[in-house]
Amino acid sequence: MKNNKRFKLLIVFMSMLLLSGCWNIKDINKRSLPLVMGISKEEGKEYKLSLQIPILENENQISKVVTGKGETVASILGQIRTNSEDAVDYSQIRLIVIQSNLAHNQQEFKELIKFLMVSEEIPSRALVAISDENVEDVLANISEKLGVQATSIYDFFNKGSDWAPEIFSISIWELYRSSYLYTKDIAIPVVRSGKDTVLVFEGSDILKNGNIIERISPHESQLINVFQNENEKGKIESLGFASLMVTNSSIKNKISMRNNKPHVSSDLNLKIYILERDNGITDKRIRKELEKLIEKRFYIILKKTQGRQADIFGFGQQFQHVLSYHELKDWRDEYYPKLKVNFKVHANME
Amino acid sequence: MTNRIQIGIIFIIVNLSFGYLVYPNLVYGLVKIAHWEVVICQCFLQMILIWIYIRGLGYFQGNDVIDIYLKMGRWAAIIFLSPFVINLVTLVALNIRMHTEVIISIFLPRTPYWSIMILFFFISTYTAIKGIGTILRSSVFIFFIVIPLVVFSFFTSVVNFDLHNVTPSWYSPHKFLSNVKFYYLLGFSSFLFLGFFSFDKKITFRQLFVSCLGVALFFLSVVYIPLFIFGQETVVTLTTPFYEAMDSVDISWFSFNRQAIFFGISLVGLVILANAVMFWMIGRIMKKMFTFRTVKSSYWIIAFSVCAFILAIYVPNKYLIEKYFLWCTSAQAYFMIIIPFTIFIYGFLTKRGNLGYEK
Repeated sequence: MKNNKRFKLLIVFMSMLLLSGCWNIKDINKRSLPLVMGISKEEGKEYKLSLQIPILENENQISKVVTGKGETVASILGQIRTNSEDAVDYSQIRLIVIQSNLAHNQQEFKELIKFLMVSEEIPSRALVAISDENVEDVLANISEKLGVQATSIYDFFNKGSDWAPEIFSISIWELYRSSYLYTKDIAIPVVRSGKDTVLVFEGSDILKNGNIIERISPHESQLINVFQNENEKGKIESLGFASLMVTNSSIKNKISMRNNKPHVSSDLNLKIYILERDNGITDKRIRKELEKLIEKRFYIILKKTQGRQADIFGFGQQFQHVLSYHELKDWRDEYYPKLKVNFKVHANME
Repeated sequence: MTNRIQIGIIFIIVNLSFGYLVYPNLVYGLVKIAHWEVVICQCFLQMILIWIYIRGLGYFQGNDVIDIYLKMGRWAAIIFLSPFVINLVTLVALNIRMHTEVIISIFLPRTPYWSIMILFFFISTYTAIKGIGTILRSSVFIFFIVIPLVVFSFFTSVVNFDLHNVTPSWYSPHKFLSNVKFYYLLGFSSFLFLGFFSFDKKITFRQLFVSCLGVALFFLSVVYIPLFIFGQETVVTLTTPFYEAMDSVDISWFSFNRQAIFFGISLVGLVILANAVMFWMIGRIMKKMFTFRTVKSSYWIIAFSVCAFILAIYVPNKYLIEKYFLWCTSAQAYFMIIIPFTIFIYGFLTKRGNLGYEK
């Protein structure tokens, strides 16, 4: 009996082992949680890294921007940690803004993305955007306008196709993936700080194997989203003599190989609703003009990207079951430049 | 009746705990396309071995594997089973260490690994000492906590799927069947503990069939979820593809901002139980094999868990853990082939011998 009691006591004491989960823990009020990170690097100079950190001061919630300089991103993160008054916890970063001159440096950009992906503390779900402006200014603007509410920056990029079909989000793991995939390239949203709103969406940069090659407009990036099976619903088009809203869209792709040349015929069906028009403009003319406009837009991007061998529409993905895995390896160089696309838009009144 | 369900459940849990970490990496290294063939082949091979094993055990009513080896002779038991015990100890050590590393990277970045390992070792040793009854009962409990988490994390990861990342194709199986790595994979299908139960009623293959199918389905999804999210080209560059896949999920309306936490919690539950089963096997073998000294099996279990703990602490880095773990599973695969076959052949021969003798 006595022995049994001692055993029970031992069990109770062993529950203290569970405390190992609290090792070196810092309470939430003793931590700084940066929400937005900005990275820039001038040619031949050091990395510059800014963090937007919300802080609690006498019941007032304000936020500040901290900037550091160093040889590598990791060293700056450590340096900021040393100099900060609280323990800095990088696990809540929601957005990483990269200055475009750094993003255009192929080698450094690739290494940066790899670092962000492999880093255990920075979440691979954090969104990435590129800015032509000084990133410090972008962060200062976010800090000024959103302050502690900077987590809502996530909503800026994820409004949903029904609300703002042009904008889209790219996270670190998608960037990392795109530098390895054989058959698909991606675009990164480009933003600048706004005067009244926090950010302004300026278009997107096309990445080929992790290297930026081309800037496209919001209209064009929206067309790319359509090919990723995103609905175009809610998109407003202006033709000069009329404006209309797309109320529904669907895309169908048919692929085939002819004489070892890939061939895609793709049909985009749009349901449109006319918002306003000049006198005497018929439905038919609006439809024809719209079809012509979108088709032209498509062929311009296709020509640009075929020249640079960047499969931004992800056509190669659809050839997965036609070509073998080894053939797909050469998709960008061998097949994509020869790709013929027959793109047709069919607009219909609602 | 309940026993049968419990055995099915523990079979699933042990397989789940092994499948999460190194298994996908091995499959991606083995083939570039048609990963499903590898998984199906491995599960099929496992089923055949289980069938032979259960058939072999069926010749000896009411005996477990150790009794059968002792019937062959004490030396046979020592030759076959003592390497197996050593293998189990190293497997436990490396398995716990590897899971600890992953758990540290998911949610305990500042805790030193030994303190997490003490917790794991303590709970699994305690469960093993309490005996098979406790293991079976707690397995039901853990099953109903862990399986919803596993299913939930599988379903939420669908938001990041790109179905075009996987090439639907056929690959001639003889290419990977002749590869040594495929036999490493076999080591991940643990079923040897099935022979250590000594029930009056023998388990039949039919009862286990549903669990086998469940495990096959699980292995398929563990391999295919990272593939659908990242694609073959990216997946081979990642060290823990399944964890990265879970970590990429971001659902804005959901109150927890990291899905990987669920994955971590389910790992904790699984690893504790799987190791308890292995400790229990060690205790049973040692107790029956060395009868000249009456040592309680709980002392054996404690002694071996201390050995495993020391071993686990002394592995210096992640790279070596994975390397040693692979060696360990390949040794395990060797036992998975040797033990069922020796028992089957011995059972077959004695049965024929008996019949011949009776006539």
